[in-house]
Amino acid sequence: MQENINKKIEDALNSLDGMEHASAKPFFFTRLEARMQKERNTWEKISSFFARPAIAFAGICLVIMINAAVIFSSQTKHNNVIGQNDETATVDEYSQVSSNFFEFVNTQP
Amino acid sequence: MNERELIALLKKKDREAFKIIVETWQDMVYNTALGLLQNAEDAEDTAQEVFMQVFDSITTFKEESKFSTWLYRITVSKSLDLIRKKKRKKRFAFVQSLYGKNDELINDPPDFFHPGVKMENKERASFLFKAIEKLPANQKTAFILNKTEGLSYGEIGEIMKLSSSAVDALLQRAKKNLQTNLKEYYELQTT
Repeated sequence: MQENINKKIEDALNSLDGMEHASAKPFFFTRLEARMQKERNTWEKISSFFARPAIAFAGICLVIMINAAVIFSSQTKHNNVIGQNDETATVDEYSQVSSNFFEFVNTQP
Repeated sequence: MNERELIALLKKKDREAFKIIVETWQDMVYNTALGLLQNAEDAEDTAQEVFMQVFDSITTFKEESKFSTWLYRITVSKSLDLIRKKKRKKRFAFVQSLYGKNDELINDPPDFFHPGVKMENKERASFLFKAIEKLPANQKTAFILNKTEGLSYGEIGEIMKLSSSAVDALLQRAKKNLQTNLKEYYELQTT
């Protein structure tokens, strides 16, 4: 049985001997050209859509708005930090005054 | 018109030159893709994509190698890309049902019969192609180029950028793996 299997394996390995080339279906070039034309049309549609003045203008405005929002939000954060520093300084000042006041009170007989 | 003149015209996007090149090489490209992909529709799609790439990137062809070598490289590359893409799809198809509405298996590829194989060898060849499908990409490529395209080790080496001895080693390993795969299959049949 092993010999039989080995023979089958050998026959399978040799089964492609003398084979011919497969050929593409007729009118291959016609179909290829049609596909290339279709893809060209798709890209042209996409690029012409974005080239329309209204769309291009809207896109530029969107970019400017996003940049402005980022700049504005970073400025706001910066101002908040400065504000916090002022507050901290005020708290420190009052705490010094307070401690002085208590010290003043406690020294009274 | 010789090949050099055709390529020079194609670089100028000449339609007639492109048509001649396609008609000259379409069977070679299709046959190579068919051997690797084992599906006529996929082979036709891939062959179209090969020529589209040739048209788009002919200016990058430096004519250091033969035009056919360059064409084979693009064909092999696109065919292997499609195989990888299909494998990725299969890997993520675990959420998909195995069966369709009428209880038919959805992913049940039919046996592949190469149209160029002799009638008396068709069934044996279909077992061989099943075994070829399981080979690693480089062994599969070398085996298909040798057996279905009839290329020599040197020609295969130019396409795969390997020495002839490296191609020989690849083909030896391919043959060994095919014997193992076929043995498993035939032993399963007899049990």
